[in-house]
Amino acid sequence: MCASVKYSIRGPALIPRMKIKHRIYYITLFSVVLLGLIATGVFQFWPHSIESSNDWSVEKRSVRDVPVVRLPADSPIPERGDLSCRMHTCFDVYRCGFNPKNKIKVFIYSLKKYVDDSGVPVSNTISREYNELLTAISDSDYYTDDINRACLFVPSIDVLNQNTLRIKETAQALAQLSRWDRGTNHLLFNMLPGGPPDYNTALDVPRDRALLAGGGFSTWTYRQGYDVSIPVYSLLSAEVDLPEKGPGPRRYFLLSSQMALHPEYREELGALQAKHGESVLVLDKCTNLSEDVLSFRKRCHKHQVFDYPQVLQEATFCVVLRGARLGQAVLSDVLRAGCIPVVIADSYILPFSEVLDWKRASVVVPEEKMADVYNILQSIPQKQIEEMQRQARWFWEAYFQSIKAIALATLQIINDRIYPYAAISYEEWNDPPTVKWGSVSNPLFLPLIPPQSQGFTAIVLTYDRVESLFRVITEVSKVPSLSKLLVVWNNQNKSPPEESLWPKIRVPLKVVRTAENKLSNRFFPYDEIETEAVLAIDDDIIMLTSDELQFGYEVWREFPDRLVGYPGRLHLWDHEMSKWKYESEWTNEVSMVLTGAAFYHKYFNYLYTYKMPGDIKNWVDAHMNCEDIAMNFLVANVTGKAVIKVTPRKKFKCPECTAIDGLSLDQTHMVERSECINKFASVFGTMPLKVVEHRADPVLYKDDFPEKLKSFPNIGSL
Amino acid sequence: MQSWRRKSLWLALLASWLLGLLGIFPLLRLAVPTGPRAGAPRGWPRWLDAELLQSSFQPGEPPEDAPPPPPAPRGGSCDWGACFDTSKCRSGGFKVFVYPAAGPPSETQHKILASLEGSRYHTVSPTEACLHLLSLDAPAGACGPLPPEWNRGKNHLVLRLHPASCSGTFPRGQAMVAEASPAGDAFRPGFDVALPPLPEAHPVRGGAPGRLRQHSPHPGEALLALAEEGGGWRMAGADSSACPRSGHCERDGGPEPTHPGAALPNATFCLIPGRRPDALRFLQALQAGCIPVLLSPRWELPFAEVIDWTKAAIVADERLPLQAVAALQEMPPTRVLALRQQTQFLWDTYFSSVDKVIRTTLEIIQDRILGVSARPLLMWNSPPGALLALPTFSTSPSHFPFYHLQRGSRPAGRFSALIRVGATGQPPLKLIRAVAGSHHCAQILVLWSNDKPPPSSWPETAVPLTVMEGHRKASDRFLPFRAISTDAILSLDAHSSLSTSEVDFAFGVWQSFPERMVGFQTWSHFWDEAQGGWGYTAERVNDFSMVLTSAAFYHRYYHTLFTHSLPAALRSRAEAAPGCADVLMNFLVAAATKLPPIKVPCGRRPAEAGPPQAPGGLGPAPQPAARDCIDQLAAGFGHMPLVSSRLRLDPVLFKDPVSVLRKKYRSLEKP
Repeated sequence: MCASVKYSIRGPALIPRMKIKHRIYYITLFSVVLLGLIATGVFQFWPHSIESSNDWSVEKRSVRDVPVVRLPADSPIPERGDLSCRMHTCFDVYRCGFNPKNKIKVFIYSLKKYVDDSGVPVSNTISREYNELLTAISDSDYYTDDINRACLFVPSIDVLNQNTLRIKETAQALAQLSRWDRGTNHLLFNMLPGGPPDYNTALDVPRDRALLAGGGFSTWTYRQGYDVSIPVYSLLSAEVDLPEKGPGPRRYFLLSSQMALHPEYREELGALQAKHGESVLVLDKCTNLSEDVLSFRKRCHKHQVFDYPQVLQEATFCVVLRGARLGQAVLSDVLRAGCIPVVIADSYILPFSEVLDWKRASVVVPEEKMADVYNILQSIPQKQIEEMQRQARWFWEAYFQSIKAIALATLQIINDRIYPYAAISYEEWNDPPTVKWGSVSNPLFLPLIPPQSQGFTAIVLTYDRVESLFRVITEVSKVPSLSKLLVVWNNQNKSPPEESLWPKIRVPLKVVRTAENKLSNRFFPYDEIETEAVLAIDDDIIMLTSDELQFGYEVWREFPDRLVGYPGRLHLWDHEMSKWKYESEWTNEVSMVLTGAAFYHKYFNYLYTYKMPGDIKNWVDAHMNCEDIAMNFLVANVTGKAVIKVTPRKKFKCPECTAIDGLSLDQTHMVERSECINKFASVFGTMPLKVVEHRADPVLYKDDFPEKLKSFPNIGSL
Repeated sequence: MQSWRRKSLWLALLASWLLGLLGIFPLLRLAVPTGPRAGAPRGWPRWLDAELLQSSFQPGEPPEDAPPPPPAPRGGSCDWGACFDTSKCRSGGFKVFVYPAAGPPSETQHKILASLEGSRYHTVSPTEACLHLLSLDAPAGACGPLPPEWNRGKNHLVLRLHPASCSGTFPRGQAMVAEASPAGDAFRPGFDVALPPLPEAHPVRGGAPGRLRQHSPHPGEALLALAEEGGGWRMAGADSSACPRSGHCERDGGPEPTHPGAALPNATFCLIPGRRPDALRFLQALQAGCIPVLLSPRWELPFAEVIDWTKAAIVADERLPLQAVAALQEMPPTRVLALRQQTQFLWDTYFSSVDKVIRTTLEIIQDRILGVSARPLLMWNSPPGALLALPTFSTSPSHFPFYHLQRGSRPAGRFSALIRVGATGQPPLKLIRAVAGSHHCAQILVLWSNDKPPPSSWPETAVPLTVMEGHRKASDRFLPFRAISTDAILSLDAHSSLSTSEVDFAFGVWQSFPERMVGFQTWSHFWDEAQGGWGYTAERVNDFSMVLTSAAFYHRYYHTLFTHSLPAALRSRAEAAPGCADVLMNFLVAAATKLPPIKVPCGRRPAEAGPPQAPGGLGPAPQPAARDCIDQLAAGFGHMPLVSSRLRLDPVLFKDPVSVLRKKYRSLEKP
């Protein structure tokens, strides 16, 4: 503005020859333009620069430069924690709302430095660990920078260690946060609660309804389903490089490595050592080390010096006793060493106990049983010990090893409470990767024999062999348990025959026309399938008798989670070529059944269409082959079970055909099928097929017994 | 001058145009809300001096002056370590003493006693007991006086199956309280036990089986059933408008079937409000196989200490019912399938009878006492459930026949032959040779159950042969002998005749079905209309439901289960009639697996070994002893566990028209 004024004063000198009238006009015009320009410039840049003083991401800053907030001595203090808080009473779930990703949104308040009236800081501005924790949250999927969309608020006020802060003033600082609202939906992280002399087991800072992720909760302070019990982070996790040591017998059976123990406990431990000798090792702080040695990395027994935490790897069980606080950082070190923690701290809520099954990784011994601890541990079989060692190490890797792991596990627990539909299962939390990899959770695990009255739906895949199709329909319709027949018409160039031409059968017959001639159409989960049992049958399988089909359905009822089929096949390992080979000869074993005639649960149609791993589905459609092998792989992989081949081998197609089963047995076919097996095995990353030596026959098959008294006499006749 | 004017006009135009152009940006900026700017997401800053920040923890953190151990538990609060004395349970095992009712026992107390008496926990001596059980279901609803051995409630379990009137005033002290759907604030986790809310007419034993008949929901099934005030259920389709925010769902105009008075809902999900009286609906949903969706329950879920309810139910927030409904509609079929099956498993295993509820309560307490040797949660949460998976057998799931799939393990590849020599008193030399010929045979155990002393010399076999003395009882063979070193047992009688080939094939089949019995000769059970009872016969040959243990493979765990889980009354019952021990073993395995046994072919026509047959007749002849046996066992189990099968597993090429040389088990085909 100043500039424009100056300009207008100089104006006349610059343009001397102009007429006054025009000159005035001209000058006015230019002033207006200039004024406008300047105003625009100011408008555009000024507010932005004001806003960006809050925006740190643009440049890197120092912690010392954060804004200072002065807390008046009489500013409000939150209520003490409400012990009756539960998610549905103290948590405002409306802030979280429906979310397609099922992820809560977490906001972090910007960092401030709080001082009291006289300018004395309330606490250290932020510790290294809390900075790490907030960075981890900020880098995670949970983070949002929009306070209005946030479901959970994390203050930047560091309360990890109660000893580093002033309780009343910290509480005042919390209360003046912009969305505090009695602490609703606020999450505080605290690892070292309480202070001398009585060491409370939860953070003493009044926090009203705020959730507390605390290390060292006891049953008296822990609000189950509301608070989250977290580990006390061990500094050694990052500082010391400790290569993993596998499970197995170790030099010491029981070891105690804690330094500051109550004399009573130390006495008890001493008694244990005296009683059991070499196998028990009780360590203490070293008294006569030279100054330059890191004393917290050494432990001593009499005059023997041990490296800590390396010594933990020498023991099978490690005592984790309560100290001044219930939560001890040594738990983390012990787990890391694959030493099974023996937790002796009555009423202690173990870290993440809401989701972690500590029985699998630790032994909890009541304090009054401490004298017995050796005998209790001795009763554990070696196999269980090794599993527990593995489990302990896995817990450390997944949930203890870094501040980030601790922060994310905490948020995941809260997330699962808010979106229970997408919650992580017990197995996902607790099973180590090796178990997850080897185990199978059968989707049809309930032992249940479906009632016969339900019947089955036959699905015939056809292209243009109408005559043969009609024969199949007529044959299948004789089966008593058939409840519906579905013809999948896979020919887009030709319409199915008129309705009047179809065979008249006693059950509903429905024709589905497909959009594309794809083999996977056979396994589509059509809405028309109302029964659980599906019979997939080719339009040329005309030789199966009604007895055979009915018997096949009965077998499926006993094995509803398996593929129950007629023609059986085998996969073999070709040692010369070092790859899998397809086998259709007369063998004593079977590992697949062809879906040209097979019963299975309709759920597998859903799996085939929507959950087939990798590109197998498209690959099958492109090659027009091996959809049956793919189905065998899929079912075996998800159930971990073998197929059931029913009834003896026979010619399933036209009896006149010379080749066995009528399938082309030429070399290229076999090579292609072998290729399929190799391709699928590589996509699944394993060979899921199971080989068995049995097939299912009716109880009296070929027994010396009057045929007319047999339930299924017409079986296996060629 | 005109040019001046024109020029200035042009200038003015240009200037205003420029002005407009520049002005529009700030206006645009104002119009768009301050969303996240692209390229610069604002996160937690990376501090320049992050490395210089101080740590929260000092390496030698624990203060030197550690405080004294904690004081004794504060007023009224108890936890397991502080308030239960396990030393009493170590010596004599887990024994439970039930206080007799003060007045005339109520019906519920009758049920409790009926359930406990004859069970392996029951004791009549209060001094021997590790746990004292006090039932508060008094007929008048009044609290009786405290029992003499009360001792401030230490090692006491106060059982309240139904809400009683004296609940408020009862001084629980250090006693554990097991009550139906307790409210969250009074409940002491890990100490008290949350029971399911049982209807008055809940059966003592057996109980109604789950109503689920198929694994996946029927396409026509309603998505939601809503618990109504009056005790009924109302079905609702996928239309979520039926449920406004209050959680009370109104009837929408559409045609939706209502089932007034229908006891069980017929839907995939059941929405249940969180108030305590509605807890009863929870059990109904479980029985119906309808996945319970609990809207902020104010009560503890039953047995939540051991049951992983996230596998069978969904706890949603009552404030967001629409979100719940939307999430249910979106739920992938795989999860629905798993939840649905789990509801049925839990109902059938832990909730369908008073007996199961009480045994589950006691097993939970026993697991607490066992501590390290308690069952892993896997055993509680997958079939057949903890009541049938005894922790005394092993704590490793892979030692049981049920969990191989979940653990990615396999049963060991060898078996032990257990040959019982009974009345004949002749060493079965031929049988021993045939069995020892199998490559899978690890050892042969001869159970000498005859008055004559066993011969001193036995044939030379490739595998170790051990002779054990029996007690000449039929159920001797089902004792959990320490000598058995393999998972699989081939149980044999001296008179059985088997070939090596048959043994090999049957063992191969057993490895595929380690939880079932695999046998050669079979019986089937039937309901005898004329007599109004169960019977069994060897004559109904098209199907079967039992295999004879005179030649059968099964898992050695069933010996432990037979000896330690069955009530003594049932076991002594099995001694009374010939063949009854066999029937009992089949009952037990069928109750655990809910599946039929497996029959494999035997080459020779088996010697008739069944319930004694009336000569000539094909139909089942009246056999009082046999029928009594199966009838009484069925009564003891509370239901008929046997399941029939119509199939036999044969070798793949069995009697196929192909060269015998190709066949692995050719000797099975000899007529």
